Amino acid sequence: MTIFWFSLKRSFSNTTNLIFLTLFPVGAIFLPMGEVWPFLPYGYQFFGIIVLFVGIRLATIILEDRAKGVVKRLAVAPVTHFQYLTQNLLAFSIILILQSIIVIYGGVLYGHELYHPEWLLVLFISFSFTSLAVALAWISLYRSKETSFLVYMSVIFLIVFLGGLLMPIEAFPDILQRIAVIFPTYWLSEGIVWIVFGNDISEFLLINGVLWLYTIIFLVIGSVRRIN
Amino acid sequence: MKTGLDANFFINGWRFLNIILLIHLWIIGDSNAGNFILILLLLLLASLRWRLSLPAWSVLFDLFFCLLYIPYTNISHYGLALPLFELVLKGKWLYSVLLFLSSIILLSSSDFIFWHLLQAMLFGAFSYFTLKNQHVQLERLDALRKSEYELERLKTDLLKANQSTSQQARLLERNRISRQLHDHLGHDLTGASLAIQAYEHMEDQQKAEQLLEEVKKRIQRSTIHLRETVHNMSSTVMTGAERMEEIINDFHQFDTSFKKYGDTFSVPAYIWSLLESCLKECLTNTARHSNATKTDIDLQVTDALVRLSIQDNGTKQNKKTQFEGSGLRSLQLRTRALDGSLSISNEDGFLVVCVIPLQEGVDRD
Repeated sequence: MTIFWFSLKRSFSNTTNLIFLTLFPVGAIFLPMGEVWPFLPYGYQFFGIIVLFVGIRLATIILEDRAKGVVKRLAVAPVTHFQYLTQNLLAFSIILILQSIIVIYGGVLYGHELYHPEWLLVLFISFSFTSLAVALAWISLYRSKETSFLVYMSVIFLIVFLGGLLMPIEAFPDILQRIAVIFPTYWLSEGIVWIVFGNDISEFLLINGVLWLYTIIFLVIGSVRRIN
Repeated sequence: MKTGLDANFFINGWRFLNIILLIHLWIIGDSNAGNFILILLLLLLASLRWRLSLPAWSVLFDLFFCLLYIPYTNISHYGLALPLFELVLKGKWLYSVLLFLSSIILLSSSDFIFWHLLQAMLFGAFSYFTLKNQHVQLERLDALRKSEYELERLKTDLLKANQSTSQQARLLERNRISRQLHDHLGHDLTGASLAIQAYEHMEDQQKAEQLLEEVKKRIQRSTIHLRETVHNMSSTVMTGAERMEEIINDFHQFDTSFKKYGDTFSVPAYIWSLLESCLKECLTNTARHSNATKTDIDLQVTDALVRLSIQDNGTKQNKKTQFEGSGLRSLQLRTRALDGSLSISNEDGFLVVCVIPLQEGVDRD
């Protein structure tokens, strides 16, 4: 588990990562509640955006390894690419899960009305994995850390906007409402709606199932071994 | 080696393009979020096939998902193209035809679906034969590469055998000269020496003169034998540095200068043959591919090595063709077989330097 511990330590190694991983989630707890929309406090509605950013920040560590030739050296080390990938992803997912726990627990302590905090935690954890898998698939397309991060920022804006996290999906034209379903963020916003209004657990499980399906698809796509 | 796009690139391209088609149909069609899961499931299987080599029976999953959604959405009819394509790709012709016919007959599909499934089958068949051909070509290429390596190894062995034969020939020649000197010269000169010693002690004048006459005859015969032996031993063709000078003088396309240093007689024959080949190759290359007007050839022989440097004053013309061709590559291989090196540079004109170590005590005694 050397790679796992090392990955955990280096995730907090620079200031930007530290801000992304600690300050932003904590800051999200203290954001106020909207008047009509969103149904949850702003911090919880937009937490998906933070998760997407954290996902790419963490995944670029793998891209950095590729650029520095670490992946090439691993090819001759007594460590398989699968071990390297799983231990890194395990470290990243633990960070994301901890963030979700802090945000939910902090919200409950702060006194936010979260309806079903335990289900919200499950939803955020599912989305965290999806975010990580999407970021992994994204970095497999790039060689440069900076380029991948910058382009992904615009992509995040698009999928967050079209997915219905920034504004209610009902406000979109019909065609955009249809297209929105393609994005994982749609399922997150649907999940949030279910937390507030839903009562049929199968619907919530379906939403999580779709998020996990996305996770597996993007993990399969992103786990390709690329050596620069 | 730079290769073109792999057939798998197009196969995966077709799979993902088909998923995009399903998404498009879903957007313009019912857009039921539940039905979108079918597309995600098919996408998952397509991704897995992209990354892993799934067995033919894995199409059962695609079939199962499509059949599961048939009562709910028309997209599943189009989705059947994916398992159909995979079956044909794996060469399961019977199953694929059965699936095609049952899809058309039982599902009462539209004409468009018929053509869509048909193109999936055709593209699958095309991919199947392309992959098969690619496999055959790869095997042929492997066999070719293997025989090429074997040929190179054989060439190296032959060069080593050549070196060994040269040493053997040198030893045999030395024995032959020794035997010839012993049989002809040695006999007469020993006889003459003994006759002179006897002459000093001879008192009878007449006998003494006969003895002197005998000595004279023996020495004359020895002189003739010596001349014949030397004449028989002398080579009728030029060798070594002389041969190199002859080659250079035969070239009139450009100016050449030849300088030699050291004891060229200490270089064994098998090295001369390589140096000659190197010189010929370089001069021919310069005449054919270069705009050079002058070539300087420098041959240095020291106790430890022999160094041949060939430098022309040509300018870079076509980078691609400069180091190509089997001539210099073969020479490099032959030089390596003699533990030497052949380096090429085109920085300032074209320079070829061939350095071969001389093995002490084997050939140079």
